Amino acid sequence: MAQSKARSKVRGKLRVGLMPTPPDQPAGVELPSKPVTTFRWVSTALALALVLWSVLKIDAKWSRLIDAPGDMWTLCTVMFSSMEVNKISGLVGKMWESIAIAWLGTVIAALLAVPLSFLAADNLVGRPIAWVTRQVFNVLRAIPEIILALAFIPIFGLKPMAGVLAIGVGSVGTLGKLFYEVIEGINKGPVEAADAVGASRLQRLRWGVLPQVAPEITSFLLYRFEVNIRASAVLGVVGAGGIGSALAQALSFKDFGTAGLGLIIVVLGTIAVDTISGAVRRRIVAGSTPIVKPDLNDPTKFEARMDDFGGN
Amino acid sequence: MTTLDDAPPPVLPAKPGVSTFAVGGALIAAALTIVTARSVGFSLSEIITNFTRKNSPAEGLLHPDWGQIWSRRSRTAFIETLQLAVIGTAIGATSALPLALWSTTFGNPNRWLRMLVRSCNNVIRSIPDLLWALLFVTAVGIGALSGLLALFFFSLAVTTKLTSDTLDGIDMGPIEAANASGASLTQMLRTAVVPQILPSYTSFVLYNFELNLRASAVLGLVGAGGIGQRIEFFRGAGRWEELWGLVFMFFLVVFIVERISVTLRRRLI
Repeated sequence: MAQSKARSKVRGKLRVGLMPTPPDQPAGVELPSKPVTTFRWVSTALALALVLWSVLKIDAKWSRLIDAPGDMWTLCTVMFSSMEVNKISGLVGKMWESIAIAWLGTVIAALLAVPLSFLAADNLVGRPIAWVTRQVFNVLRAIPEIILALAFIPIFGLKPMAGVLAIGVGSVGTLGKLFYEVIEGINKGPVEAADAVGASRLQRLRWGVLPQVAPEITSFLLYRFEVNIRASAVLGVVGAGGIGSALAQALSFKDFGTAGLGLIIVVLGTIAVDTISGAVRRRIVAGSTPIVKPDLNDPTKFEARMDDFGGN
Repeated sequence: MTTLDDAPPPVLPAKPGVSTFAVGGALIAAALTIVTARSVGFSLSEIITNFTRKNSPAEGLLHPDWGQIWSRRSRTAFIETLQLAVIGTAIGATSALPLALWSTTFGNPNRWLRMLVRSCNNVIRSIPDLLWALLFVTAVGIGALSGLLALFFFSLAVTTKLTSDTLDGIDMGPIEAANASGASLTQMLRTAVVPQILPSYTSFVLYNFELNLRASAVLGLVGAGGIGQRIEFFRGAGRWEELWGLVFMFFLVVFIVERISVTLRRRLI
């Protein structure tokens, strides 16, 4: 405290002592005008108005907000005080089921997305085919996985298979988009070399394209697997198997101890798989230069990557 | 004179060996696929028979009820979804900025405090949105407030993660300049860091809004308000025509909002 006071004192002195007197502005020199910020002001005002309208109009019981932290605390205490150790093995089994759903779903998505993404890259096929395939990806990206799960549950019953297919179909769009961006960024040299020695279309893909894109595609697949673990935990809540089903059941039967244990297992399991898969991913891309750098400042580049946060 | 036949055979470089890492990885992946397929009871014939026989979701998909778009109750549910997304984004993304700043070395000189903030962020991020909703519905009760709280944590996780990624790559020059001129921590962050990340941060907030809009559709499935509650109602009643009509309308809304948001983001950067 005292130190900062002293510092500000020094700064005050410095400011007095060192502040250069502004030079007289020579006549005729025009300073550049400030950039126009009307757009910024208008959009900020509109956003604020939207928030205000929502807060005032929403049908939420705001009075309960005051009790909410207390309620959450109560829930936490019942969840984490009445845990039974003998439930652990059952819940770990359920978590394994969630991981299995995520893995199989990712495998199915890979089997569909890899061939399709070759058809969406306009350096490999004609523009019309690429356009049609991309629209397929766009439609698939728009459907939340949980809606797919809702549709598959009446078809397959309350079984993990519904979750596997929901994740499999739901991941194709995002993965396909990421893959064709990678494929479009490849070096043309190997493809030309393959053509020059008379490779067939298939041989050209096998020797000219695949070796270039394989590391990145594999690393995106692993990344998607991590995302899908969260998704499969969520799908269970609507009845598609895995730890989510166990959690939702425990909460609806007010078996809070089991729910708390399940929550801990979800967090630990997710972080554990993330760590392992992340290490493998870094090893895969370590030797190769990335074709598509995740440039977060470029809106067209980060869209597909950020889809992953909406993994539901 | 030497002919071509006499020339010694060219020395070819040795073929590169097969990478043990790649082979091992492929084997492990194959093994994992077999083990997981066993444990969830995967069968291809089941998929084929289940998809080829008559089922109500597919029947409903063929004749969606477009009337849902003009139904008053659906519209009310949609407006609630929109409001949930707006408020969730506003409070979640605003709280994310300080959290992201405090998880960096220059924004939070205290090592232990920084580790605490980081692990908090990690734990929040590892719980998916629907589980947050489930917890809040249990603790606070059914209704929009639970959905709002769930979206708050979801937005917090997403925006904090993206903003910290951007913070990793900023130019350290302005920070050094601010520190050299004796700025306090807050002044330094305000003048040297925030202006650098503001365009990206704003576009993350907009993106987060799109995500929240999609998420708030499913939160209702566990009773946290919005359109999901109506989807859940139609599902329970087996009225798939209405359900698909609702889902199509939802796509329409998401599509329009996405277009607006993408246009805004392009202008921002």
